[in-house]
Amino acid sequence: MQLQDLAQVVRSKNAGPRRITLDVIFRNDADYQRATQSEALTAEKIAPLYGVAFDAVTVINYPLGRAIKIVVPREIMSGDPGDRDVYGAQQHTPLLRLEI
Amino acid sequence: MTASARILDHFSKANGSQPIRILGASGQLGYGVPTPAFSAGLERKPHLIGCDMGSIDIGPYYLGSGELATALAATRRDLRKVMLGALKLKIPLIIGSAGSAGAKPHLEQTLAIIREIAREDGLSFRMGVLRADIERTVLKTALRSNGVVPIDGMAMLDATEVDAAANIVGQMGMSAFQRALVAGVDVVVAGRACDTAIFAALPAVAGFPIGPAQHMAKIIECASLCCVPGGRDSILATLDQEGFELESMAPQRRATPVSVAAHSLYEQSDPFTVLEPEGRLDLARATYHALDDRRTRVVGAVWEEAREPWVKIEGARHVGERAILLCGTADPRFIARHEQLLQEVESVVRDLVCEDAAEDYVLTWRVYGVNGVRMTSVTQNIPLGEAFILGECIAPTRARAAEVIRTTKQYLLHHGYEGRLSTAGNLAFPFTPPEVSVGPAYRFNVYHLMRASDLDALFPLEIETV
Repeated sequence: MQLQDLAQVVRSKNAGPRRITLDVIFRNDADYQRATQSEALTAEKIAPLYGVAFDAVTVINYPLGRAIKIVVPREIMSGDPGDRDVYGAQQHTPLLRLEI
Repeated sequence: MTASARILDHFSKANGSQPIRILGASGQLGYGVPTPAFSAGLERKPHLIGCDMGSIDIGPYYLGSGELATALAATRRDLRKVMLGALKLKIPLIIGSAGSAGAKPHLEQTLAIIREIAREDGLSFRMGVLRADIERTVLKTALRSNGVVPIDGMAMLDATEVDAAANIVGQMGMSAFQRALVAGVDVVVAGRACDTAIFAALPAVAGFPIGPAQHMAKIIECASLCCVPGGRDSILATLDQEGFELESMAPQRRATPVSVAAHSLYEQSDPFTVLEPEGRLDLARATYHALDDRRTRVVGAVWEEAREPWVKIEGARHVGERAILLCGTADPRFIARHEQLLQEVESVVRDLVCEDAAEDYVLTWRVYGVNGVRMTSVTQNIPLGEAFILGECIAPTRARAAEVIRTTKQYLLHHGYEGRLSTAGNLAFPFTPPEVSVGPAYRFNVYHLMRASDLDALFPLEIETV
């Protein structure tokens, strides 16, 4: 199953102008458990999707919100010449097809 | 008696026996405050109305240029609504990060609108004004004593960049607002400020525990965004000595334990920690439980006071003048070869516009339908019908940027590439001119933490009788 078929929310946004935070939120505890246990959302799997080193990726499990938070650095700072997404709100799509 | 004096007097007499009600009117003042929910909030007799007006998410342009991100008429309408609400109930109104970016020009424009509304509506009140501009001399002194550190891999700051920044602001914390409230005010308008400080300062002065007050503030600064469905409607928080309750003032929006807990993720890199100038909010032991299907109670946030205050500082410098080209294509041959083709055109243009001038510009392409949005070059096979091409030139002057982008347009239109069939033109223009001069371009050149032993001096308070 792909992440886009399991998650309730897959979103991205700036966490400050130099990082993007990706939040994946699930409908229920079972879906959340399935995702966290699947090893699909690890720094090693996510890093190549964003073209960054795996040790630059942070993954935080947040059971209270049934959510997994991922933080990746931006190659281009928000609003710098050449930026493509000043708010960082459309950088979630590489996650959608991840196999869970 | 001013509104803040009246409310503080009330809580002084209550001696911890009464909860405090805070209305989060708007997370982005100037984009519209929905009236039904705001009016419903006023009927609940809140002790404070708070509004956040800015963010760093909107990019460096506003901070650099001094312009507001919001429209003047909408900003005036929202300010008038919250001013009338607060003055009618004789409760303090606090507005943070005035005018989108919170530097002097943004603050001055916001104050001018407020004075104009007061004149038109015959309102009079005492207004506390908190400035957030960081003086260059102060920042350079901090630089010399190693009191400035980069955030998230930003370069080290130096005096040249300090001088180059058009505006530099610091995010003030709740202590600045506390000074204003203690001084006796009806309205507080602050430059760049932590969004939490707007809502946490009054409870802090009134003797409520800071952990839950800061946690409450972190949630209600986005109005009803913590609800399902999330929205912009006003939200009411009721804070007591142990924790707080949240209730959206729009009946269809429900604050549930999961929706409220999940809000701690929003725009934060760490859902368990919030850093403020005066301390650190620890949410690791926070718990959320439903009071009913629309209200959630939250307890357990812990506040740790900082041994030494550090302030987040932001600055933006001018990097040139921007001109853009807007055009499209539906030609599969053009789209298939666009990468090489754009490089060829860049080279042709460079030879022409640099015949008698330096290569003093940067030309950037975003090809929507191919790679206009994604920051990474991971290619995915998407069937393409059409592509939109955004060309962007940043050059030292408006005239130079326009020259480069106009020349680029012409040569991209007629560029002969291998396999080309459409020899009359490569591009569709939605209108002419397809080139637009969009004004100055900025970038963040300050995004650092500065050690600040004297927060009061850094964020001075002025009192004005309106």
